[in-house]
Amino acid sequence: MKRNYIMIYKHLNLTKILTLLLVFVSFSISAQITPEAGKKVFKNYCGTCHSKNMVADATGPALYGSQERWGDDEALYSWIRNSSALIATGYPRAVELKSEWKTVMTAFPSLTDDEIGSVLLYIDLVGKGEYPPKTKLTPGDVPVEEESSNTWLYILLLGVLGLLAIILTRIINNLNVLAAAKEGKEIQQKTLIQSLTSKGIVSFLIFALVVLAGYTTVTNATNLGRQQGYQPDQPIKFSHETHAGIHKIECQYCHDGARRSKHSVIPAANTCMNCHRAIKVGTEYGTAELTKIYASIGYDPTSNTYLENYDAMSEEEIKDVYTKWIEAQYLEKTELVELDADGKSEVNAQWKGIKNSLTNEQKKKIQGPIEWIRIHNLPDHVYFNHAQHVTVGEVECQDCHGTIEKMEVVQQHSPLSMGWCINCHRQTGVKFNDNEYYKSYSKYHEDLKSGAKDKVTVADIGGLECQKCHY
Amino acid sequence: MKDNTSNIWIGGKDLIKDPEFIEISQKEFAEPNLLENLGNQEVAEKLGGNRRDFLKFLGFGLGAATVAAGCDIPVKRAIPYVVKPDTIVPGVASYYSSTYVSGGDSVPVLVKTREGRPIKIEGNNLSPMTGGGTSARAQASVLSLYDTARFTMPQMQSDGIFEGISWDKVDETVKAALANANGIRIVSNTILSPTAHAAIKEFTAKYSNAKVVTYDPVSSGAILDANEQSFGDRVIPEYRFDNADVIVSFDADFLGTWISPVEYAAQWVKGRQIKDITNPKMSRHIQVESGMSLTGSNADNRIFAKPSEMGAAIAYLANKIVGGVSVPSLNDEAKASLDKVAAELQAAQGKSLVVSGSNNVSEQILINAINSSLGNIGKTVNFANASLQRQGSEVELNELVKDINGGNVDVLIFNGCNPVYEYANGSALATALGKVKTKVSFSQTNDETTNLCDIVAPTHHTLESWGDVEAKRGQLSIIQPTIKNLFTTRQYEESLLLWAESANLNSDSDQPYFDYLKNNWKNTAFATQSTYSTFDAFWDSVLQDGVFKVDSGANNAPGFTGNASSAAAGVRKPANTEIEINFYESVSMGNGQYANNPWLMEMPDPINRTSWGNYLAVPVNFDGVRAFDGFNGLEDGDLVNITIAGKSLTVPVIQQFGQMPGTVSLALGYGRNFGIKGDAVGVNVNDVLTVDGNGNTNYYNTDVQVGSKAGKEEYFSCVQYHHTFGVTAEEEGTGEIINADEAATVFFDYFTGVKGFQGSLTERSIIYNSTVADLKENVKDLKKRRDHAQHLNEQQIYRGYDENYEMGHHWGMNVDLNSCIGCGACTVACMSENNVAVVGKREVSRHHEMTWLRIDRYYYGDAKNPNVVYQPMMCQHCDNAPCENVCPVNATNHSSEGLNQMTYNRCIGTRYCANNCPYKVRRFNWLDYTTADLFPANQVKIADEDLPFGADNLTRMVLNPDVTVRARGVIEKCSFCVQRLQTGKLTAKVEGRRLQDRDVSSACMTACPTGAITFGDLNNKKGDLVKKNNSPLSYLVLEEVNVRPSVTYTMKVNNRDKSFDA
Repeated sequence: MKRNYIMIYKHLNLTKILTLLLVFVSFSISAQITPEAGKKVFKNYCGTCHSKNMVADATGPALYGSQERWGDDEALYSWIRNSSALIATGYPRAVELKSEWKTVMTAFPSLTDDEIGSVLLYIDLVGKGEYPPKTKLTPGDVPVEEESSNTWLYILLLGVLGLLAIILTRIINNLNVLAAAKEGKEIQQKTLIQSLTSKGIVSFLIFALVVLAGYTTVTNATNLGRQQGYQPDQPIKFSHETHAGIHKIECQYCHDGARRSKHSVIPAANTCMNCHRAIKVGTEYGTAELTKIYASIGYDPTSNTYLENYDAMSEEEIKDVYTKWIEAQYLEKTELVELDADGKSEVNAQWKGIKNSLTNEQKKKIQGPIEWIRIHNLPDHVYFNHAQHVTVGEVECQDCHGTIEKMEVVQQHSPLSMGWCINCHRQTGVKFNDNEYYKSYSKYHEDLKSGAKDKVTVADIGGLECQKCHY
Repeated sequence: MKDNTSNIWIGGKDLIKDPEFIEISQKEFAEPNLLENLGNQEVAEKLGGNRRDFLKFLGFGLGAATVAAGCDIPVKRAIPYVVKPDTIVPGVASYYSSTYVSGGDSVPVLVKTREGRPIKIEGNNLSPMTGGGTSARAQASVLSLYDTARFTMPQMQSDGIFEGISWDKVDETVKAALANANGIRIVSNTILSPTAHAAIKEFTAKYSNAKVVTYDPVSSGAILDANEQSFGDRVIPEYRFDNADVIVSFDADFLGTWISPVEYAAQWVKGRQIKDITNPKMSRHIQVESGMSLTGSNADNRIFAKPSEMGAAIAYLANKIVGGVSVPSLNDEAKASLDKVAAELQAAQGKSLVVSGSNNVSEQILINAINSSLGNIGKTVNFANASLQRQGSEVELNELVKDINGGNVDVLIFNGCNPVYEYANGSALATALGKVKTKVSFSQTNDETTNLCDIVAPTHHTLESWGDVEAKRGQLSIIQPTIKNLFTTRQYEESLLLWAESANLNSDSDQPYFDYLKNNWKNTAFATQSTYSTFDAFWDSVLQDGVFKVDSGANNAPGFTGNASSAAAGVRKPANTEIEINFYESVSMGNGQYANNPWLMEMPDPINRTSWGNYLAVPVNFDGVRAFDGFNGLEDGDLVNITIAGKSLTVPVIQQFGQMPGTVSLALGYGRNFGIKGDAVGVNVNDVLTVDGNGNTNYYNTDVQVGSKAGKEEYFSCVQYHHTFGVTAEEEGTGEIINADEAATVFFDYFTGVKGFQGSLTERSIIYNSTVADLKENVKDLKKRRDHAQHLNEQQIYRGYDENYEMGHHWGMNVDLNSCIGCGACTVACMSENNVAVVGKREVSRHHEMTWLRIDRYYYGDAKNPNVVYQPMMCQHCDNAPCENVCPVNATNHSSEGLNQMTYNRCIGTRYCANNCPYKVRRFNWLDYTTADLFPANQVKIADEDLPFGADNLTRMVLNPDVTVRARGVIEKCSFCVQRLQTGKLTAKVEGRRLQDRDVSSACMTACPTGAITFGDLNNKKGDLVKKNNSPLSYLVLEEVNVRPSVTYTMKVNNRDKSFDA
């Protein structure tokens, strides 16, 4: 950790240091102000409305440079804590912001000066592109762990053994010739080629080839249909990192089937609309991705209404509605009055993106469901139930799906093979004491009490049997 | 035969030890037609394969596999909702209460939907009528929703060509026609919906020259007429079979098809339970009939009366009980038996019930006189909650034809009915239709009647409709849609209201008829109750429960005002012809309404076990020793020419035990000309029906000649002898093939003193039966046998298996043979739940039917007039399973919960397991029945369909997404509905509580109308299952082979009076 600070401060320029000094001086607390703490605060409080790249406007304005714009830290701090109160005092910058954005920022009266300081630091660093630090480790700094591979060692060993074998063959050959000479017989000494093409060697090679081919065939056949690491591009660049990671939206808020159904359920577009009625421009992609949701469900973000009779609308009519919105956002962002050439191509590109994402060979209309690419495909003839695992077994989503909250694009974390399932069933303990249902397993309860068993695994109660998953 | 009264046989071939049958039963997979087929050039061509093709396919297959292996995995898409409905959680089933309705048949049901698709029907156990039971027809109705033959939009016909038109055009044309019409008729089957009646009332108010003509596919018009004359109440009364100690039925198949079979079966079975072994009691049930009906097969005693003698039989009984009734001639045996019946009835005054399926008004009046005289009115025959399930009479159709021919009808509207096919004078109606200017049909699919109509205004399927049902007075149930209409259809009620320009229908509304329905309920049912103060709360509760009860206020026990003596003059007169034919409604087909439903087509008839067609049931002449011959020397599967009233038909034959000598039977409802799956399946006999003096249809004919064998049916699709496997061996010394079981008898006798009960397969411990009188003795005998079997089973070096199940679950099932009536609802429920393939007639004839659950029919007792026991047979989930040991790839193995697990993706199709299964419940996918396979199907087409059945995307919507669709080359079998078990367990786990009985149920259990099947956890010692298994009547099938099955059966007990046999 400590090293990190050093690293970061190395990159600070003079003004930065001065700003920091100012902060230190003003509040006489230096040790608590860190960009890490700032990041945390930003995630918890600010990230919902402000763009995380600090330079784009979202529900709230871009934050980079706010300190310079305000020029008065005291006012800025009280603005962050309670903006309405500051507006009420008639502070010019506050009134200006209010008239510009027409919304009032949520009050965070519990934020300490340290936290606000940290978040301002974080904003500044991110805005400058200096956070997260691009660490360059010097070889001496950290022990470099060599990507150690034994392949070469094996090949070397094989070579040595092969050489040894040839030498031994030669020696045996020579000895044979000598022995024969001693007995008075004369046999011709075998050449190396003759030795290598002898029956023994050839049959050994054929045997080895058959074994190898068999092994390869079986391994590859077993892997047929498995797609661990599968990471297709989705019609919408939905980021789990943003939603589950940064904004900490509970998995089951969207995947509401997981606790009660076999399917975890991909959320319907109306679930998206719960938040995205308010958050209409994305921090990362602006209008490009979010408009796809609106086009799917028929929501006009310009007028904040659902379109009447959307299903019957023609593609042209739909295009009008959404290009208008994209244009307006573009103009607002670029502060232009009229659409320039870049803008036109931007709008066109975005519309094309919407159309490509919402239509395919089977689905010709823009309207209707978003057809996601299915990543987790179980093998055929398997019954899997999310409720059993999530609600009864209390298995964390991440146990099977990996660190979803860190995936910008989701990929299949687990192999989803039968061996993988079985293995988990062998190792995982059942929530035996908490659930009244398992009372009927009286013998196991006795075993647990007497200590004969330390846990009852899924396998113990029949979790390896065929018809638990295949019927 | 050794002792006819205690022996059991599955059919004629078994009874006489037919050498061909014995030979087949030795084979692993019986294939009587295979060798013939291979030599048959035509079939070989149909199969489309020869050796060169095989090599081509092999080469292509290898190549394709290589290419497939080298390719990338195809991109799959995950498509979420745009706006997710709150009530749907993808992957979790939602259930909606609704009602299955088809004409006058109705069953309150729950509809299971997945992601908005109805996929399964379950009974609604809040219904006071059925108590949660269903019928095969109700179970199969979900499939007709996805019928590829449905009209996708309104049609207009000109010169035999249908052309799709818009609804606006329909309304315009029809309204114009209605405005200028001289006379308007709406022809319909019974309408059970009070709101539909209200809609029709608005229509007839607007068009004062409109009238409704109601009839039923199989008529009960005579009962309605008789009840009007006897009691002044034109309804079918509520029968209470549960309150009757003595039940006499004259040709009324009340357990199978008559009026309200699900309700009656549930009642009937209550009187058939043995509650106390030491003092066993059971109701008596006597059936008078000529052909073996489902009800007759379950009766204690059957009395033979030819169809034309039925009137005489009723009059004879009426004379005994009421007196003063003249009796036409009747056979002496029937007379003697009816004397005894009369005595029994008189001993059970007020606790007896006499019913008749007769369509003769006089005979029904006599029945009323008998019930009245016995004091049954108001006790077992009630009018307060009278049934409304039959309201029609073909007399009205007779009038209609007259009216049309008189030029008084300009517009005819057919409400989803098919009178041209069903009505005895259908051809006269068809001709008359030419005189009607505008004919409109509400039918969902094309049929004989719709094909003659000018405009088709297709209505919704029930599962797409809003509606209500009043099946019995005051007993309402609701119909709510479970899916948006798949096609451009419109509910017929809405069409009528639109054409009537009703002010009460808001056609701008989202669902106009829904509003109309709600409004009607607000004014009627809501007004009668006081539990709910607001209509919304009331409506929610009705939708939730699906059923609602109001007090009908009708007189429960009106006095009998008929005259028995004068009625006697009108009964049918015995004919003196050599042979008579009886026409009956089959359990699956009705009168052809279900001909388009492959599940019902493939469901074997409970009695003669044939599928895909109607078979002429001929009597069997048994010589009492070892041989018998069918009537006219006819054998199963022979084709025969019969002439009924001048019409010649060629039908296949089935030998039927219990068919009265001098009579033959043939089912109605086959030989439909329309509907893909019904094409060329069976023969139509509706056009040879006659009408009596009152205009009521006679469901028999005395003018019939049956020829001798005229060939063999190409695909004889009777499943009775399928999957039987006798044990034969070479006899030491002689080298002769003998029946090993018979040889073993000596050994058995020596140690146990037990005699009989050996022979071929049926003489092992498969069926135990007893009469009430002999029950104590037979229970003792059963215990002795079971003790012996268990003793033998203990003599082994392997340890027992029971300790494996000391914790967790141990699934088991109990099948009460005494409650099982053989109706087949469970078999269809099983097909629906488990995606079981339909294979078609040819495949059935090759023993390839895929049913996981079959109902075996065994005869026992008197070979001339036997009793029947039905045995639902499914995988027994043996704890010492012989199938598991022989699988080379361990594709079938045992779970810690006692399930015998079948893993399809491991199966390589050796079929060793099926060979080794003593119960013959494993099914092999010989062909690619579902086109689930990677390479093209090799299935021969059933009819002229483009794809094998079930391979199109519409029909596939019915599949249960939790169950694998099996591909060619794997074995499958009953899984105890493992997907339902897993769901039940998960529910308990999520709720954090112990598993309860109600959490788990198999599809067959929930479908059963009589509660014959109980599923549960054997480790739950307080549960229903353990309680039932502990009955001294329970036994394990083939217990002596020590496979330790998890399914327990209980002994079949009947209340047969053997003195009838003399």
